Amino acid sequence: MTLEKPAAETAQHSPSITLDGVVKRFGDNTVLHGVDLEIHPGEFIALVGPSGAGKSTLLRLLNGSHSPTEGRVQVLGREPVRCSRRELRRLRTEIGFVFQQFGLVGRLTALENVLMGALGTLSMPRYGIMTYPKQLRERAVENLERVGLVDQRFQRCDTLSGGQQQRVAIARMLMQDARLVLADEPVASLDPAASISVLETLKKLSAEDGFTVVCSLHQVDLALEVSDRIVAVRDGQFILDKPTNATGEPEIRAIYQAHRGA
Amino acid sequence: MPTTLTPPGTRGRTPAPAPARPPRAPAATWVIPLILGAVTVFGLWWIDVRPAAIAAGFEDITRLLGRMFPATTGPVPELAALVVETLQIAIAGTGIAALVSIPLAAGAANTFTGPRWVQWLCRTLIVVSRAVPSLVFAIIFVRIFGLGPAAGALAIAFHSVGMIGKMMTDVFEEISAAPREAVNATGANRFQVFVATTFTQALPQMTSFVLYRLDINIRASSILGLVGAGGIGVALQRSIGSLDYPRAAGIIAVIIVLLLVLELISNLVQRAVSEHAGDTKHSMTFPPGKELSSPGWNAPRVGRSAGLLAGVVLFILSLSALSISPDRLARGWENAVAMLTGFVPPVFTAEIALGLFESLVMALTATTFGVLIGLVIAVFSTDHLVKVPVLGWALRGVIVVVRGVPDIVYAIVFVAALGLGPFAGFLALAISCTALASKFFTDALQNIDPGPIRALEAVGAGRLQAFVAGAWPQFVPSFIGNSLFTADLALRESAVLGIVGAGGIGFLLHESVTSIDYQSTAGILIGLIVVVVTVEQMARWARRKVI
Ligand SMILES: Nc1ncnc2c1ncn2[C@@H]1O[C@H](COP(=O)(O)OP(=O)(O)O)[C@@H](O)[C@H]1O
Ligand SMILES: [Mg+2]
Repeated sequence: MTLEKPAAETAQHSPSITLDGVVKRFGDNTVLHGVDLEIHPGEFIALVGPSGAGKSTLLRLLNGSHSPTEGRVQVLGREPVRCSRRELRRLRTEIGFVFQQFGLVGRLTALENVLMGALGTLSMPRYGIMTYPKQLRERAVENLERVGLVDQRFQRCDTLSGGQQQRVAIARMLMQDARLVLADEPVASLDPAASISVLETLKKLSAEDGFTVVCSLHQVDLALEVSDRIVAVRDGQFILDKPTNATGEPEIRAIYQAHRGA
Repeated sequence: MPTTLTPPGTRGRTPAPAPARPPRAPAATWVIPLILGAVTVFGLWWIDVRPAAIAAGFEDITRLLGRMFPATTGPVPELAALVVETLQIAIAGTGIAALVSIPLAAGAANTFTGPRWVQWLCRTLIVVSRAVPSLVFAIIFVRIFGLGPAAGALAIAFHSVGMIGKMMTDVFEEISAAPREAVNATGANRFQVFVATTFTQALPQMTSFVLYRLDINIRASSILGLVGAGGIGVALQRSIGSLDYPRAAGIIAVIIVLLLVLELISNLVQRAVSEHAGDTKHSMTFPPGKELSSPGWNAPRVGRSAGLLAGVVLFILSLSALSISPDRLARGWENAVAMLTGFVPPVFTAEIALGLFESLVMALTATTFGVLIGLVIAVFSTDHLVKVPVLGWALRGVIVVVRGVPDIVYAIVFVAALGLGPFAGFLALAISCTALASKFFTDALQNIDPGPIRALEAVGAGRLQAFVAGAWPQFVPSFIGNSLFTADLALRESAVLGIVGAGGIGFLLHESVTSIDYQSTAGILIGLIVVVVTVEQMARWARRKVI
């Protein structure tokens, strides 16, 4: 199968991510069957595909949580497998990660959860808002403002709505000043209205700050709405890789249908 | 009312609604009573419990009680200082245990990602710490650090690490992994991730365990003085040693009042803590402060900060009252090394085996008595069978007072009245098991679903029929579970009663340390740990089968 060249490739930057014949196996289960991919700075990639296709595995390869069985993974100019523990931590401070389950400490305030995003720049543990330097606290408030939650900064996170919690998680991610943001089904536990608003926030922030986004989604309509480029995964292979504006909805729907039919 | 000694895991357990026809009882429900029954028959013969002996003993005890009155406390300032020292020992010991438990539990939890041997070491330390009673640690630390509260605080700390560490491990394993993964993905180091997520998530439960343990430890530290480890027990030991029974009675009364007052305070504190946990839930944790990025003050924040500050100050004051100097530490270190090298090779004699066996028999026999009498008391304290509220209140009041007295104090009284030997220890244990079991059973009976009883009464069943058919099936699992827990606690107690001459292994243990026969000490400790851990594992296994 020949993949069409993404439009954004004309940009003269070194790629954010390069995958080169990446195979990932868990025991006998081959989850990724030799995939190639190049992602450029500033792109918003939607990774779509049915559940079990290997999306989460791919994202974990990118931040060094998993290492490839074969092939090469290069992220922000480095290879996570070759990084020492310390280097991997450094690399991770440059990669924001947004989870389906938010990953917030429910009994803490929104502000304190956001501040945790800056731990990678500090050496000692912190407990309580006032143990963080003033300049970080001010940035945390700004970031909460950018996701529209400055009034909730002293509210316990477990009293926020799902959409608000994911915005707090995004504000925490912003503390990292990341060049690359990986999001694994960030809206899968949200209602449709919150989903679109969270994704649009992410899109707006990426445009303002210029970070690259790789976001896995299982809703095709949302992918079409927010992404620059769509990569479709099925059974551990990329079966489509196109600029979003050149992709028709029926084309993607077909991926799911073909899968269900199989 | 929150209990001081409710077994973890059965706390606030509400049984599932009973099925119309209870399923066939698991084998453990009849095997366990059978074993207990057999041991009891043997124990009655071994300990030589005869109705005549009990009747004669009753007379002796009455005569002794007569000699105790009028009770006197002796010089009040001296006694007050010892009460303060008791609290200091408990606070310092609990604080040290809490601090040590955090890394130990983090290492023991199945979420630990470091080397296997570290995890194994953490788990072993927790198990050993739980198996060795604080009074046994006290004997050892008095040898190492000399007489005084420092030995007591360390004894409390060493034994508390086991329970606090175990409970923390469970919490660390249960809390959500999502925050940990998320903060880890930001590039924070392991220590930062731990503090920001696992520790923070577990903090409310950790605080309540520590307060709960503090309550137990104040009881424990009030008797450490019996082996010279400081606190009010020192005065008790002295007055008994000089056969000054009126003063001993006065001191026992002071201990009871102290423990009852503390029980009251601890209930109030627990209630305040749980109410506060609720009121931040639906509001802002902080009001706006001077700047956007700094929280302001409100009453709950002031309360939390004041509570934290008070805790820290109390802990530091208590620590400094232990008068641990570098000099003393150095000498303690030398003594500890001498003792540890003296442990090798451990010696295990027939006498030691006999002592351990006697402790086990005393504990199980007393458990049987305690459970049976406790069941009767519990049935009369709740209104399922007998609807006389006054009776219930009176019985519960008596139980609270009886539980206020540490087991070893009963043992001292019985030894003084009836002479040395396991009979005194058995009686002491039977009383404390009765109090403990009736407390557990009363709580369990109060928690059962009244639906089936009402339904049976509505169709005209008699009260006894309704109780047996409607309440008993629901109650059986917690009955067995709590009986096993009672046996478990009784065993630890019976291992130390020998210190005051009330039978079991405690006598040999105390003697081996004071006569510097450390090889025997090591043999006894190993034997004790093996017996306690084995019984605990069997109890846990049986409880899982039943509940
Ligand atoms: N840590 C793991 N160990 C073993 N198998 C795994 C692991 N993670 C994922 N898998 C397997 O990989 C496949 C793809 O999973 P995943 O990447 O989570 O898919 P998706 O995120 O697209 O739903 C599944 O079959 C899953 O069982
Ligand atoms: Mg997934």
